[in-house]
Amino acid sequence: MIPSDHFVRFYNEVFKFLEKRGLLQAYFDDVARYAASRNLEKFKNGLQGVYDHYLVIRKEENCDLDMELADGELHSFMRKCPSLSKVLDNDAPASPHYCLHCPGWSLPVNTAAGLYEVYDLMEPDVPHCESWLYDDPARALARYRELLKTVPASRIRTNLPPELLADGEETSRPRSAVFSPETAEKV
Amino acid sequence: MLRYQENNELHRNFHGSTDNAMRFVEKTCGMDALREVLRTTGRDVYKSIREKLARGDASELIEHLTWFYYRENAPFKLEVSENEIRFEVPACPAHVHMKKMGLEPTPFNCLQTEEVNAGMCEGTPWTSTVEHIGPDHCVQIFRKEPSK
Repeated sequence: MIPSDHFVRFYNEVFKFLEKRGLLQAYFDDVARYAASRNLEKFKNGLQGVYDHYLVIRKEENCDLDMELADGELHSFMRKCPSLSKVLDNDAPASPHYCLHCPGWSLPVNTAAGLYEVYDLMEPDVPHCESWLYDDPARALARYRELLKTVPASRIRTNLPPELLADGEETSRPRSAVFSPETAEKV
Repeated sequence: MLRYQENNELHRNFHGSTDNAMRFVEKTCGMDALREVLRTTGRDVYKSIREKLARGDASELIEHLTWFYYRENAPFKLEVSENEIRFEVPACPAHVHMKKMGLEPTPFNCLQTEEVNAGMCEGTPWTSTVEHIGPDHCVQIFRKEPSK
């Protein structure tokens, strides 16, 4: 048995293995389907549902995570990500794309839940990141554009609908949509 | 002494994530590929255990087995002799937890034990086998070539 404590060390090996075979994005899509099967119903309860989910995750996964839910915005700042921390403190090398798994599953699940996320990956070798979640796409777009003023687009991931984004803003979108977002409102 | 000192909260749902990752690798790349990524995990992630085994020191392997099964609340029976370690787990905590989650482990879920253990032993005088007593009950066996 791989101890649950050590899942992320195995995850990191899977990422490196699949990346060499061009299958990393397909795996992220698969993880998103799995995550949706576990969490989508909770996320369909809106920002409060996502907040409640992460209260449990923060405890069980030992996250140093600040969250604030107010005025239609869920702002999360991961001060120290336990997952990347373990992968960096590991005898096997870290996948350079390790952090991508998080928006890799959360963006499609949030899309299916009708929520709009703006995700700043920050540095891939430092275990911190920041995200903002909304049920109003206009507010997500405003946050996305505000963030673009201070950080490169390559750091940002979002599930904003492409038609809302101007030319040159689409490079940071995830490559594929996993779900038909039945519950997502049309913009 | 353990290389990875884990002593805080547990997120047991990761057993489901491990199983899902195994399914994906097997489905897209085949069983040999799955064996390879698991064995690499055993060899490289548990480098510290492997290097100690190569020097004839099984202390970290024994501590690893007992600590992590203890943390998962799993009963076990450990028997250690000069050239053999037998670690019996009557109710695999990964399987027990996955069933609580409403998930059925893949038929090849136990490969994680077989191949990770084999990876820990790679290039050392130790070999590993797993005796399957029942679907959730196994004995992990590590044997050392007798000293000449």
